[in-house]
Amino acid sequence: MSKTHTRREVLGHAARGTALAGLGGLTGLLWLKANATFAWSINAQRCINSRLGAVGVDVCERCSTECVLALSAVRAVNEFKSCGRCYVCPAYFKITSAVGPDGLPTEKVCPRDAIKREAIGWIDPDDPANNFYDYTIDETLCNGCGRCVLECKEPAGLGSIRLEVRHDTCLDCNRCAIAQACPEDAFDRPEPA
Amino acid sequence: MPRCASLGTVLPRVAGPGLLLVLVLFGVSGPAAAQEHVEYERPVDVAPTEDTIGEGYVTPEVQRPRPRAAAWQIADVVLLAAALGVAAWLAIWRRQRGWLVALTTACLLYFGFYREGCVCPIGSTQNVAVALVDHTYAVPHYVIALFVLPLVAALFFGRVFCAGVCPLGAIQELMVLKPVEVPRRLDKALGWLKWIYLGTALYYAVLPAIERDFVICRFDPFVGLFRFTGAAWLLMVGGAFLVVGIFVGRPYCRWLCPYGALLSAFSRYAWRPFSITPSRELDCGLCQSACPYGAIEERRAVRTSCFACGRCYRSCPVHHAETPESVVPAAELAGRPPEAAP
Repeated sequence: MSKTHTRREVLGHAARGTALAGLGGLTGLLWLKANATFAWSINAQRCINSRLGAVGVDVCERCSTECVLALSAVRAVNEFKSCGRCYVCPAYFKITSAVGPDGLPTEKVCPRDAIKREAIGWIDPDDPANNFYDYTIDETLCNGCGRCVLECKEPAGLGSIRLEVRHDTCLDCNRCAIAQACPEDAFDRPEPA
Repeated sequence: MPRCASLGTVLPRVAGPGLLLVLVLFGVSGPAAAQEHVEYERPVDVAPTEDTIGEGYVTPEVQRPRPRAAAWQIADVVLLAAALGVAAWLAIWRRQRGWLVALTTACLLYFGFYREGCVCPIGSTQNVAVALVDHTYAVPHYVIALFVLPLVAALFFGRVFCAGVCPLGAIQELMVLKPVEVPRRLDKALGWLKWIYLGTALYYAVLPAIERDFVICRFDPFVGLFRFTGAAWLLMVGGAFLVVGIFVGRPYCRWLCPYGALLSAFSRYAWRPFSITPSRELDCGLCQSACPYGAIEERRAVRTSCFACGRCYRSCPVHHAETPESVVPAAELAGRPPEAAP
């Protein structure tokens, strides 16, 4: 025989083989139940900004202030299919502010002016109140403060705006700073299906 | 019908014989002409659809935040595996420090500052532990890969993850400027801390979900430096680790890193660990004073605590030999009588 092995070598091989097998078993075990959708998300039924019935409360803006990123990974998202396309959108205009010469409130809800308002469809040249308006949220400006989400729900709005985690920028921290700060436990990782 | 109503308002104004003609014209020209007078009533009670908005309006795509890009996860895993391979090759085959520093810097920039420190193998230990005990909890594939790959590498090549891949190690590695020797007994005693830390982290991780805490991530002293943000006291602790690290090589890695505890256990059985051998090095002991981590005992690298930084090779006279002719086996070099060159 060409090569002999010392006891030390044999024991080393055995230990290494055992450890590799153990790691392989662990990997297999975890792989079988691995969850591809494992990511932070916001439960709209819990979030105080979007929860129905939470009217007249102060806005909770922890999603924008707590995230470790300079610009939070949370964004407001307008679901156009359920948007009322109002002339005076309560999530766009601060409806309690003074009315300007054009008959519209002078102040806006969004502190970063991230919502764009545009008349759509058949446009009445004489009466702007007779038009539908699309409210488009600029992802590069929105920081997920939730003010528009709080305003767009019953009774004034239809609840078409909600907060969502932008997964392509979310760092997926184990100790998500927003989840730690969320007063309603609305920030969560879903369980595997 | 709005159209009838508008016709009704028009008709009385049209006088005399033209009436019939106008009626016929309206009749044959159809809706196109009539639309000029249509009073459009904006429905207010429901969310309008494409039909009620009219004029060929198409509902825009919801600006839904884009889904998690699988490309980044794959890139992270591939880069981690590649960096582990390159680190092993540089440390064990090339026996060179220069390129290891370059690799360390690159990994610090990518995994640390660019990817901002999450997800990392050190923290993934906790997720793996939770996934094992909690049937409602699972980790994604790439986290499993991040956790397992450095351990597999440790079984083959020792702690090459610490050598050039881990951003927490890298930021400390680059701070080792004036290392002092730590008494060996103190070093060994402090080394037990990482096992205690690992145990504590695992204990808090496997608690029921409501009490669960990710201690390693909570007290990670360097992640705040990668992100330029974080709790003030943690940033100060991170800064303190770096300042101490100028004199005491990689204090977090040596004494606290919980993943380092696992890596040192696995590297005990490494197949081809980082080594200082008489056949390739001078066996003179100069390396022992060059090692800032106290990982050389009796002129041999201690595989469980060696970070494969390559400083020993840099200090080795054999590796300083410049020309290929002068690279001779160390024993031969040591035994050769002084000889005049031709």
